[in-house]
Amino acid sequence: MTDRKVPMPTGTDYGSRHNPMPGISASPWPWLAPVLVVIGVFYLYPILDALRLAFTNASLTGGGEQYTTRSLQWVMSNPALPTVLSNTAVFTIASVVGQQLLGLGIALLVIRGERNKLPGMLLLRTIVLAAWVVPGIANGIIWSMLFSESPFGAINSVLRLLDLPPVAWLSNPANAMMSAIIANIWQGTAFSMIVLYAALKTIDPALYEAAAVDGAKPWERFWFITLPQMRAALLVNSILITIQTLNTFDTIIALTGGGPGRATEVLSLFAYNTVFYSFDLAGGSVLSIVLLAISLALAALYALFLPRREADQ
Amino acid sequence: MIRTRFSVLADIATYVAALVIAAFFLIPLAWLVSLAVRTPQEIFFGASRFIPENPTLANFGQVLTDTGFLTYLWNGLKLSGLGALGAVLVAAPAAYAFSRLNFRGRSGLMMAILAVQMVSGLVILIPLYRYMGRLGLLESHVGVTAIYVAIGLPITVWLLKTAFDGVPIVLEEAAAIDGYKRLETFIRITLPLAGPGIASALILNMILNWSQFLVPFIMLTESSKWPISVAIYNYAGSTTATTTHLLAAACLIALVPAIVAFLLLQRAIVSALTAGAIKG
Repeated sequence: MTDRKVPMPTGTDYGSRHNPMPGISASPWPWLAPVLVVIGVFYLYPILDALRLAFTNASLTGGGEQYTTRSLQWVMSNPALPTVLSNTAVFTIASVVGQQLLGLGIALLVIRGERNKLPGMLLLRTIVLAAWVVPGIANGIIWSMLFSESPFGAINSVLRLLDLPPVAWLSNPANAMMSAIIANIWQGTAFSMIVLYAALKTIDPALYEAAAVDGAKPWERFWFITLPQMRAALLVNSILITIQTLNTFDTIIALTGGGPGRATEVLSLFAYNTVFYSFDLAGGSVLSIVLLAISLALAALYALFLPRREADQ
Repeated sequence: MIRTRFSVLADIATYVAALVIAAFFLIPLAWLVSLAVRTPQEIFFGASRFIPENPTLANFGQVLTDTGFLTYLWNGLKLSGLGALGAVLVAAPAAYAFSRLNFRGRSGLMMAILAVQMVSGLVILIPLYRYMGRLGLLESHVGVTAIYVAIGLPITVWLLKTAFDGVPIVLEEAAAIDGYKRLETFIRITLPLAGPGIASALILNMILNWSQFLVPFIMLTESSKWPISVAIYNYAGSTTATTTHLLAAACLIALVPAIVAFLLLQRAIVSALTAGAIKG
């Protein structure tokens, strides 16, 4: 092969004559340029600008901007901030834990079913996944119909059929947060399920055979083989859904609008309201930077626990 | 003997659990369908008329004709499709470089691109809203599409890299021997062979864009420009208890295209999801 005369194109991006597809010498930058330009224009520059705006008194309605730390002080001393932050923590932690546990449970169930050749497991997976493609806004509207406290609310009308008292799913502040979390888990579980299902499939069956020879009980197999083998998948998945949960408020805005009062107002919704209802561009920038900082800090924290090999990739 | 009895019991337990899970995930959708085919009178019977006595499709007709939902569906389809196409076009060359070229900082750059996903849409939308305003791109589908492209880019780069990794390199080597330039090889050999992977990246992007709410909600205030997600949100705000059947029909119209696309392409979507998450 090395003896064959390779017709070389003009330009030397094919590099060494001995290797027709060397790749090593070809410059990657023309190939990378479109992505880098888009990320620069739509991410890097806006993030820097948001950082700059956080130190101004900019308003959405325009007018002169001056550099000041007043917006920063206003946001940090805003009496609503502690409530919003604790809502965000409750909503995010409960959603992530709920989605991971339910997703892992369903993945284990589907794997068990498949291993024992039980029919219907693909159907179960499909049903769970169908919820995932429901748009967040539609998700909020669907659950507002289920939790509705009017006569046609699904859950309360079932309770009435059973002669049980109705529950104030959305008008009671404590229940409203729980309702929002349930709606979010309903939609988000499919993603965890599919990721964890794929990870379960990659566990070497020889490990289980060895454990069976040693007489390990099912829970021991789960605790000493399945969970350690799943560590990377669980962590990566946690990063993805934590960030996803922190950053979106589609379901909440359609289900409760952040209410009653501020009972379900999370940080992303608070930032949105600050900019687009109060027209406070600077204050909203501060909040969005706080959101970004929390995302990065959490991602770094999870990454610390990643097994070495995955962290290198 | 004991073993078989145990495994039969375990199988029964598996099905009981599967039924509970299926019910939890199906009931909300079933309830939506139930409300969407009821007459206004039957709405007030609640769960006792889960299967309506006089089911009707008139609600769908009314939503589609009276409220401009055909326009919203079209806007949604157009924005999702163009956004997905744009993301694939921009991501493909970079994904090819990540798959085929050896260069310093390759894995670091890939992680950096993936890390971009951690940035909330809200963070970039606040400044972008002002730029778009200055460029006259508020109220325009061009502006919204451009932001969709940017948001879909990180995951698309990863999906396409995985797709290109699956194309045998010997075919590209053969093309090089035949005198193809690298760009030619990429366009005429690699892209067609990675077709299925590219298609699933497109579909996944379209489904994600279809769900997108924040970007069009902020950028578009003219109702004739809205995609369906924004339309149903505003519609929900304008409906009352007496029009719940119409809201349910509108909501169902919004999610049926996504569910149908998903059911048709389930395998491709599932493999795209796992490729993105496991490798990430």
